[in-house]
Amino acid sequence: MNSRHENDFSLEFLMGLLLSIMSGFFVSMLLALLVMLLPGISQAGEAPAEVSSEYVKKSEVSSGSVLLRTERPGLYRRAPILKTDVHMRVNGMLVRTRVVQRFKNPGKEWLEGIYVFPLPDNAAVDHLRMRIGDRIIEGKIKEKQEAKKIYAKAKSEGRKASLVEQERANIFTNSIANIGPGETISVEIEYQQTLQLDKDRFRLRFPLVVAPRYIPGVPQAVEETVAGFTGSGWAQNTDQVKDASRITPPVADPAMGKINPVSLRVELNAGFPIASIQSSYHPIVKKSRSPTEMTVSLQEEQVAADRDFELVWQPLKDQLPRAALFSERRDNENYLMLMVMPPDAEHSQQQVLNREVIYVIDTSGSMGGTSIKQARRALQYAINDLKPGDFFNVIQFNSYTSQLFNHSVPADQAHINEALRYVQSLQATGGTEMATALHAALDHKDDKGLVRQVIFLTDGSIGNEDALFSIIKNNLADSRLFTVGIGSAPNSHFMHKAAQYGRGSYTYIGKIQEVDEKMSALFRKIQMPVLSALEVQWPDNAQVEMWPERLPDLYAGEPLILTARLPVLKDKVIIKGKSQQQDWQVSIPLLSDHQSSGVAGLWAREKIAYLMDRLREGDSQDVIKKGITDLAIEHHLVSQYTSLVAVDVTPSRPVDETLSSKAVKVNLPAGWQHDKVFASLPQTATDSVWDMLLGFLLIILGCLLSLYFQRRNLHAS
Amino acid sequence: MHHKSFLLTGLGISLLGIVWFSQGVYIQAKALLAQQLLQSAWQETLKARVQVKPWSWADTWPVARLTVASQAVDMIILEGASGSSLAFAPGHLQGTAAPGDPGISLISAHRDTHFSFLRHLKLGDSMRVQNSRGEISEYEVMSMTVKDASEVPLPQPTSNRGIMLVTCYPFDSLRAGGNLRYIVYATEKDSDLRPVLSGDI
Repeated sequence: MNSRHENDFSLEFLMGLLLSIMSGFFVSMLLALLVMLLPGISQAGEAPAEVSSEYVKKSEVSSGSVLLRTERPGLYRRAPILKTDVHMRVNGMLVRTRVVQRFKNPGKEWLEGIYVFPLPDNAAVDHLRMRIGDRIIEGKIKEKQEAKKIYAKAKSEGRKASLVEQERANIFTNSIANIGPGETISVEIEYQQTLQLDKDRFRLRFPLVVAPRYIPGVPQAVEETVAGFTGSGWAQNTDQVKDASRITPPVADPAMGKINPVSLRVELNAGFPIASIQSSYHPIVKKSRSPTEMTVSLQEEQVAADRDFELVWQPLKDQLPRAALFSERRDNENYLMLMVMPPDAEHSQQQVLNREVIYVIDTSGSMGGTSIKQARRALQYAINDLKPGDFFNVIQFNSYTSQLFNHSVPADQAHINEALRYVQSLQATGGTEMATALHAALDHKDDKGLVRQVIFLTDGSIGNEDALFSIIKNNLADSRLFTVGIGSAPNSHFMHKAAQYGRGSYTYIGKIQEVDEKMSALFRKIQMPVLSALEVQWPDNAQVEMWPERLPDLYAGEPLILTARLPVLKDKVIIKGKSQQQDWQVSIPLLSDHQSSGVAGLWAREKIAYLMDRLREGDSQDVIKKGITDLAIEHHLVSQYTSLVAVDVTPSRPVDETLSSKAVKVNLPAGWQHDKVFASLPQTATDSVWDMLLGFLLIILGCLLSLYFQRRNLHAS
Repeated sequence: MHHKSFLLTGLGISLLGIVWFSQGVYIQAKALLAQQLLQSAWQETLKARVQVKPWSWADTWPVARLTVASQAVDMIILEGASGSSLAFAPGHLQGTAAPGDPGISLISAHRDTHFSFLRHLKLGDSMRVQNSRGEISEYEVMSMTVKDASEVPLPQPTSNRGIMLVTCYPFDSLRAGGNLRYIVYATEKDSDLRPVLSGDI
């Protein structure tokens, strides 16, 4: 009896345990199912079931590759991989660059790659070539909308195509349609540019990264109620920057490591014996072929595209030509590029004029990291450089503009100390509302009879360039605006143009060690212009179209560079100017014994830049658009209104396979802080519903069990 | 004797269930009750024009009041979007413009407590924000989007007023976690910048 009872007990206990474990198991399975199903159901409405093979899990990736997060947590998509080879050929002042972008599709689906990339702001892009295996397809220049249509048609027909468009003077996009699974397509882009010459230093830059731009204005509503991206970029279009989503490529999280490797090679034919050559930010390997010729390549075979490349070289003393002429004959027209060095001002003693200097410093979030340190250092240098008798003020701007002093104050020691303390406390945060800062710097009522200079330190990461240019133009009066570009990827198009409208100059500071050198060079230079009232005398009756139309003042070490088109080359051109109350002039014979290809393109690029300026100044858009389109098509140039498009003749993608479109991620510029530019969002959900549901089910289960055993016991007794 | 142990097992499971259930209810209750406490802290903020901590050990303070008439929503927003402050109220992401000030401010809250109403908002719906100076601005919903948390750009303050309400997505997910965010963007419709220091806004 007793033993039977005990047997019964253990049996029932085992049964009960089994039952609770099974029900517990059942409940958790049910819950797990619910968890899996519910999000699935809620998403099914907005994203119809997609082919699952294009998704990968992190665990399935063996080697380093770029993954894009998808709308499904834990599932990723492989981004097109990009490798860039840059080959630059320098001849005197002219540079011809070939950029080869190799897109590899690592996934199993057909892909469309979209890559946003920067080029130097005076680059004249004139060639596009697409290589598929051994075949080469040459790109053709077309009106922008027409090019878009041609590309879209080829894309839908499954043919390979490449479309190069200009988004800003210095930002381009390359779209490549129908990259097959595992396939590589290489796209070659060529452009022509001129070197920068400052004093006796030649500078060659290749920008490697598009910095995230500050997009002012109100984000415009997207049409769908629930949508992923509006473009391929991360910003929504706003009322002030209509194409925001097109100039803001997705940025790779720094934790993923640097992406998009670049190799670079420069063949330099300086035209004079080279005394020294160095790369400002990347280690290089130099190979001399003759005193005037050299080959330069990057020491590391490939670098990540996260900071600009800059090569600087100097001629042996007194070997720099005082003037140079490059010409090209094309379609019965002669195109010229002329470089003239102003007289050396260093030996002559100048009378130092007192100045009113307004320092404007950008303290927006994009200046975070090393940029704000550089800017502070540069500003401290500048403030220490003030002379007794000078007046000054400091203005900082981010989302708001604030001034240190209500108006300019004398540069006495007390004011200088106060300013230095103020500058030391500056922090980078918030937006880039540059317009109010420009107004604050340029608007002034009291005329102190001083030379008025505005020194503007910024990275220029803004998207509303045009609005700012017109503020500068309309409010400049007798002030001069000098822009100082800070950080690893300043928007040099903005800096150059702003300085041009501001009748000043642009200085770029790439790293903190350069601050003192570059700032002192700037201040030496802006003490006084070396040459003013410049004019050009062409031979009589010559039908000349010359750019720039109005010649700027020249500061010490700055060359005059102009491009011109004229039917015949004969006689000479005379350039006249005033140098410290003295007349100065130089005459250059117009000869055409040596042809330099690319000069025509440079001339056209300058004319396009001029026409774009006219558009900003309010000329009719239709007239300007037609002018630029005709000119760009004649010279085979990519512009705001024309694009290069290359289309394969034979289709390669079977029409029944789908094509997905993916933006190629770009790196954040070196020194930028990821969380300064992108919101770091908190977790915004709790487990409350889960807790309640689970608790509720457990209560029911417990009650049922109690009830069941109570009944059983009643029954048994 | 043995029937009692079975009964106890059942009761034990029920008890566990009750603990679990109340944990969930607690989260909801905390979210609701804290708002009551915060309302009085807010009134004090408006009167005294200083930061008022809602309870002595709090590391945050009320910065704005958000009302959405169509959803019968009236809640106080706390400074900072840390996990501890989000348990009590929506949090204003530091570094973005203060709610109701010029610029775009980002406010986030849990999708299953304070911001459960976001799913019911429609384009054109209006909402009002009172800032710590008592000024009220009215906003209109311009867009609703879903983005990966890492791809939500930091709203850069501009001269225009705007608010971004952010919560986790999808709304029906049972467990916390996941990278998707639901973003409601609203821009200023018109403002009555005269301070309203007490009562309904």
